[in-house]
Amino acid sequence: MKRRSLLQLAALSTLPVTAARAAPLDELRLDYAYYSPTSLVLRHFGWLEEEFKGDGTRIKWVLSAGSNRALEYLNANSIDFGSSAGLAALLARANGNPIRTPYIYSRPEWTALVVPKNSPIKSLRDLRGKKVAATKGTDPYLFLLRALHSVGLQRSDIEHVSLQHADGRAALEQGRVDAWAGLDPHMAASELEGGARLLYRNVSFNTYGFLNVREEFLASRPNETARVIKAYERARAWTRANPSEAAKILSNEAKVSLPVALLQVKLRSDFSNPRPGAEHLRALQLAAPILREEALVKPGTDLDKAIASLIDVRFARPLVART
Amino acid sequence: MRLPLGALLPALALLGAELGVRAGLVPANLLPPPTAIADALAWLASNGLPGHIAASALRVLAGFAAGALLALPLGALVALQPRAERLLDPSFQALRAIPSLAWVPLLLLWFGIDETPKLVLIAIGAFFPVYMGVVSGIRGVDRKLVEVGRLYRLSQVALARRVLLPAALPAILTGLRNGLSLAWMFMVAAELIAASRGLGYLLTDGRESSRADIMLAAILLLALLGKLSDGAMQLLERRLLAWRDSVGDRGAA
Repeated sequence: MKRRSLLQLAALSTLPVTAARAAPLDELRLDYAYYSPTSLVLRHFGWLEEEFKGDGTRIKWVLSAGSNRALEYLNANSIDFGSSAGLAALLARANGNPIRTPYIYSRPEWTALVVPKNSPIKSLRDLRGKKVAATKGTDPYLFLLRALHSVGLQRSDIEHVSLQHADGRAALEQGRVDAWAGLDPHMAASELEGGARLLYRNVSFNTYGFLNVREEFLASRPNETARVIKAYERARAWTRANPSEAAKILSNEAKVSLPVALLQVKLRSDFSNPRPGAEHLRALQLAAPILREEALVKPGTDLDKAIASLIDVRFARPLVART
Repeated sequence: MRLPLGALLPALALLGAELGVRAGLVPANLLPPPTAIADALAWLASNGLPGHIAASALRVLAGFAAGALLALPLGALVALQPRAERLLDPSFQALRAIPSLAWVPLLLLWFGIDETPKLVLIAIGAFFPVYMGVVSGIRGVDRKLVEVGRLYRLSQVALARRVLLPAALPAILTGLRNGLSLAWMFMVAAELIAASRGLGYLLTDGRESSRADIMLAAILLLALLGKLSDGAMQLLERRLLAWRDSVGDRGAA
């Protein structure tokens, strides 16, 4: 009698524990983008679908046309994971978008200032008074502002035309704008096929590829978040081992030629350090003043607090192998 | 003094929004409280807002004028000449069915990203309501009035000026009012695509920077300006139709 009641007690005490493990997700929603080659690899091979098949979780992939779109979808709870540039994510976070970054999907040199083939513009200062296309809320736009500030110019000294990345390239090649803050693969395509010239490059003004997750999702679904990051790690390893094949996948998805895709993946992307750390914090700290100087955030916003609350340096530690 | 009853609903909505956000029922990143929107407006007022408002308002005025000036003679022609109607009207009806956003990529392709495609788009938007107003207005003129005019041996011009125009005026003015509000709508559509100034530009600005307060401030301004311009049209309408005696005309004009 006593042992039976002890066993019953033991059984009862384990019930809350098993009940506390949350029910599997119905649907996991992620974005994929031409500026994130590993997202294309991951989606191509279906590794996430494989990982979550046992739980019966559907994987929904949404194309992101730029950091601005991915962040917008995250804000509206349309996706759980969104890929964006670091500085764009900081801008969003500082303006109230409830996101966190537990993983860095790449260190790219994906943006530069582009001018058409026979442009009379030779230096940054020549941009004064000119029409420059850039997608607001993305790394190229913030790159443009930082480049202008480096020679004492401001946003009001140029005529900024707001066009999404692909449209910006078209506008440059049709001669409708004098310069364009480009983004790969469109930028690489414009260089190799449109004869465009890179007016100004600066690797340190590129702010990494941040894989953002909604704060609420990270807190309530750490298990699923970890599994997504592990799948991204698989894609990262494969991409480092097979860069040409990864370029082929990018070329098919983004409808760009293979040389363009190879330029982006092999020469302008670095997949060696996915763990958010001091390097990334520092990059954002250096970049943050532009947000205040160009009034992109509300006056009085604490940017250091925003950076600290955005980047999660601990979550991915057990998940990423040191390479 | 009559209470401004029309202000009741907006006031209640604003109060509800403010309380909802403060109580945490509504997340502030989705719906900023009205106080935040007011702050954004105050900040914008000293940071280029007059320029944005002027840019948008001028576009609307110019596009509306172009569309209306084209629609008035064409509408009159189609209404008065059966052959012109058979020739032109089917095409116009087909063009009218094309939604504004469908025009944008084509106009961008043909005219680029400067003012031209925006003004053309707004003119297209304003054209059709005015055209429809003129056609139905003139067609709806009571034939007996025209017969009386003919009895008095009025010339064609005098007939048009003294009989047709006043009789058709209510419908024409309704067409003009609709045309103006559509002009505002098409202006925003044009500015959403490629602009460097204007209220539509502010709207995209807010969207791309996760600044819902700027987005809502722009929307609020659009509502206000649209209401103002519509109010001006209403005043004009009342002035020109003061001689009318119908159900809608309550009290002294």
